Amino acid sequence: MEETELAARLRSHDPAVGLRAVGALHRLAEQVEAAAVARARQDGWSWEQIGDALGVSRQSVHSKHGK
Amino acid sequence: MFEHFAAGARTAVTAALDEARHRGDRRLGTEHLLLGVLHARELDPLGALGLDLPRARAALEALDVAALAAVGIDVRGVERAPVPLSGKRTPFTSAARTALRRAVGVTREQGGRRIKPAHLLLALLECPPPDPAAEVFRELGVDRSAVRAELRPKAA
Repeated sequence: MEETELAARLRSHDPAVGLRAVGALHRLAEQVEAAAVARARQDGWSWEQIGDALGVSRQSVHSKHGK
Repeated sequence: MFEHFAAGARTAVTAALDEARHRGDRRLGTEHLLLGVLHARELDPLGALGLDLPRARAALEALDVAALAAVGIDVRGVERAPVPLSGKRTPFTSAARTALRRAVGVTREQGGRRIKPAHLLLALLECPPPDPAAEVFRELGVDRSAVRAELRPKAA
């Protein structure tokens, strides 16, 4: 892939890009989790199995996604 | 503070909260206030200047996609969903609090008594870079002075 202007800025240690990337990674993790949990439920996974896969308790995954 | 808010501005703050939570953000920032304020129908004419809710959302997404690409992550084709709303508190960032205070000042300058969406947006236009709302305006290529000129009569 051709190096983008942003990749160049990141390598030049532009903090704005690095900091936004950290926030974007957090958002991405949350959004991928929401999609994967919904799909797991459709496929019949229990809240306990989903919690184990995410490394959190059954209660915490259920209270976050169980509506 | 919110007792000085007109109904439209209250709705904007509530919408901002939902925007923040659905994106998976832990704090309500100026970028969410901007999205929230663009929910107000009275600001629809700003679409002619390139500023509307779908475009602002897309600009935020483009900034994220570019930042992720900069750390080597390609999110094209990745299955994602809006984050479910939870009962967790979503505190305001300090920049968002500053913008809300500035909106109070803008309202007074314009001789208004209640803070309307237009006042809130005028306050957000003053956010200096590297503020997240300023980044969205830059990404959109919005002419801030044209937006201000459009807003002044609405803010009176």
